[in-house]
Amino acid sequence: MLVLRQTLLIAAKDTKVFLKDPFGVAFALLFPLMFILGFSLALRNIAPEDEQLAITVATREQEGLSHRIINLLTEDELLGAVVMPYDAAVRAVEEEEIGGFVAFPADFTSGLTEGRPTKLEVVARAGDPELEAALMGFARSVASSSSNTRIALAAIAQIAGPAALPRDAASFGRGGSLLSFETEQVGPVEAFNAANFTVPGYLTMYVFFAAAMGARAIMRERVNYTLERLMSNGARRESVVAGKYLGALYLGAIQLAVLWGAGLLAFGIHLGVSPAAVIVVSALMVLTSAAFGVMLASLVHTEASASSAAVLASLLLAPIGGCWWPLFITPEWMQSLAKLTPHGWANTAFNKLMLFGAEGGDVLVEMAALAAFGLAFLVVALVRFRLSPGGP
Amino acid sequence: MTEEFLVAKDLRKRFGDVPAVDGVSFTIRRQEIFGLLGPNGAGKTTIIRMLSTTLEPDAGGIEIGGRSVAEDSVGVRALIGVCPQELALYPELSARDNLVFFGRMAGLGSRQAKEAAAENLELVGLLDRAKDAVRKFSGGMKRRVNLAAALMSRPHLLFLDEPTVGIDPQSRNHIFETILRLRSEGMSVLYTTHYMEEADRLCSRIGVIDHGRLISLGTPAELKSAIGPPDEVTLEQVFLNLTGRNLRD
Ligand SMILES: Nc1ncnc2c1ncn2[C@@H]1O[C@H](COP(=O)(O)OP(=O)(O)O)[C@@H](O)[C@H]1O
Ligand SMILES: [Mg+2]
Repeated sequence: MLVLRQTLLIAAKDTKVFLKDPFGVAFALLFPLMFILGFSLALRNIAPEDEQLAITVATREQEGLSHRIINLLTEDELLGAVVMPYDAAVRAVEEEEIGGFVAFPADFTSGLTEGRPTKLEVVARAGDPELEAALMGFARSVASSSSNTRIALAAIAQIAGPAALPRDAASFGRGGSLLSFETEQVGPVEAFNAANFTVPGYLTMYVFFAAAMGARAIMRERVNYTLERLMSNGARRESVVAGKYLGALYLGAIQLAVLWGAGLLAFGIHLGVSPAAVIVVSALMVLTSAAFGVMLASLVHTEASASSAAVLASLLLAPIGGCWWPLFITPEWMQSLAKLTPHGWANTAFNKLMLFGAEGGDVLVEMAALAAFGLAFLVVALVRFRLSPGGP
Repeated sequence: MTEEFLVAKDLRKRFGDVPAVDGVSFTIRRQEIFGLLGPNGAGKTTIIRMLSTTLEPDAGGIEIGGRSVAEDSVGVRALIGVCPQELALYPELSARDNLVFFGRMAGLGSRQAKEAAAENLELVGLLDRAKDAVRKFSGGMKRRVNLAAALMSRPHLLFLDEPTVGIDPQSRNHIFETILRLRSEGMSVLYTTHYMEEADRLCSRIGVIDHGRLISLGTPAELKSAIGPPDEVTLEQVFLNLTGRNLRD
């Protein structure tokens, strides 16, 4: 009870202090908005012309759902899918006219309607990893419980009526979908709205940055002896750690509200088919980042070193973790490196959810990894945190 | 009830190779203003930190109000107030918000804390500036808020660590008057300083400290009479006599 009361008092006080610091507010909220605006505009101008990868699709069915889906896909101007007969597509790959294609199997319609698992086929020329990734991502988004799956469901309903839907249509899109796809790798289906990438990217970067800079405020309190004063006043060490942590969570929650709000209202982002999962991932990023800030304060000795460590960590981890450019366009070694950062896991989850149509269940690994980072940071913070220089 | 409110026995603390406090013993009586006089680096702050439960001594024992600091730090914290050498305040917050926060952390309810904040600001003469951010205050005013914050827990024993460093005469007088008034209301005070005149004017007994050791202890008159007629000798001379150095060196 005492600890809880003290924790809440400290967190409330920290929030009050934070809101009185115009630079802090600008840093946590306006900076990311500026970057999002700048990069969304910049990317909007290049993306449609030369960055778009043409997706080739083919089907081995004579007639059926796949034709219907292909029609919907090729009608979509933004996606720009091209349809080819299967044999012609294979030849085109062999003659290096195209890099690869995605094909619907001959049993696609019967498989889906009879509830039998069926597989999409990805054919790609070796040596064009970018296109291969794009095709895989495309196939996955068709296969997974995506908006494309809903296209498929709509197509089924249109052709054969609702009765033709698989027995449990609701489960159609879930993790154990009837329609599966062989590779786990996610590649870029074109991000139509660059903000769908830049908003979560800069949100991740600045949630972490602001929380890491929180270490500086904690150090200031240790150096000017307010923490020691609290201690001689009867504050428990755990109350201070928890209070500082909770205060950082409040700040993170404000950041989420402002940045997601701006993303939705001003940048027209789309949270994907599982908006709740997007929010959960961002909340986990806040929990983990706040823990990092408190941990940092428990490891350094001066305000200046807290500050430089926070800046260094934030500016280093943001690009490694895919905040500035999408991880899926980077070489494999960079994607592996990203796994060492909380940012990498968060961004991978955001990209899957917001660009590739994944559902909450598809990003459980990323969520777990984020939580594991946060837990590790918290343990270090709890063990190492000191209220006074050289004291307990 | 014993006459002694604080008993410190053979306190020791090293920081690496530096023996910051090297076997210091003294007592503070109820309603006494006890002075620790010594140059910078003598060990005054380290002693206060050990007495106020925020720094663990390497050796020695401390009892405050009959409670052992080592065994009942929670009980001791309920009896003490600390006015640290640094301005341990939140400059962005108003004087009142600072005091209310420290009061609530010490266990006061919301209303109690607001009342106590007003009382203590009145005491240090800053009630009319209660709503201003501490950042806008002069050095002397900040020192007064620093003192008021130490009073929020209504302590029986107040630790004052060089509370008058670098302030204007008006704030200094205000602080002196406050301390004397608190003493008359029953509070015991430990006052550290490197200003002779302050110790002379306020303290009933003074411990002279140098290099972490207590080199002399007594009333101002006793200390002075060791080298000559008390009203002709200054404490400055006492220190010079004891250490062969000037206090300000
Ligand atoms: N946290 C610390 N770490 C290392 N040395 C310290 C620390 N605190 C004090 N000291 C050293 O201990 C000695 C006594 O310091 P202090 O108690 O602050 O003296 P005073 O308050 O009388 O000026 C000094 O030599 C000081 O440098
Ligand atoms: Mg000192």
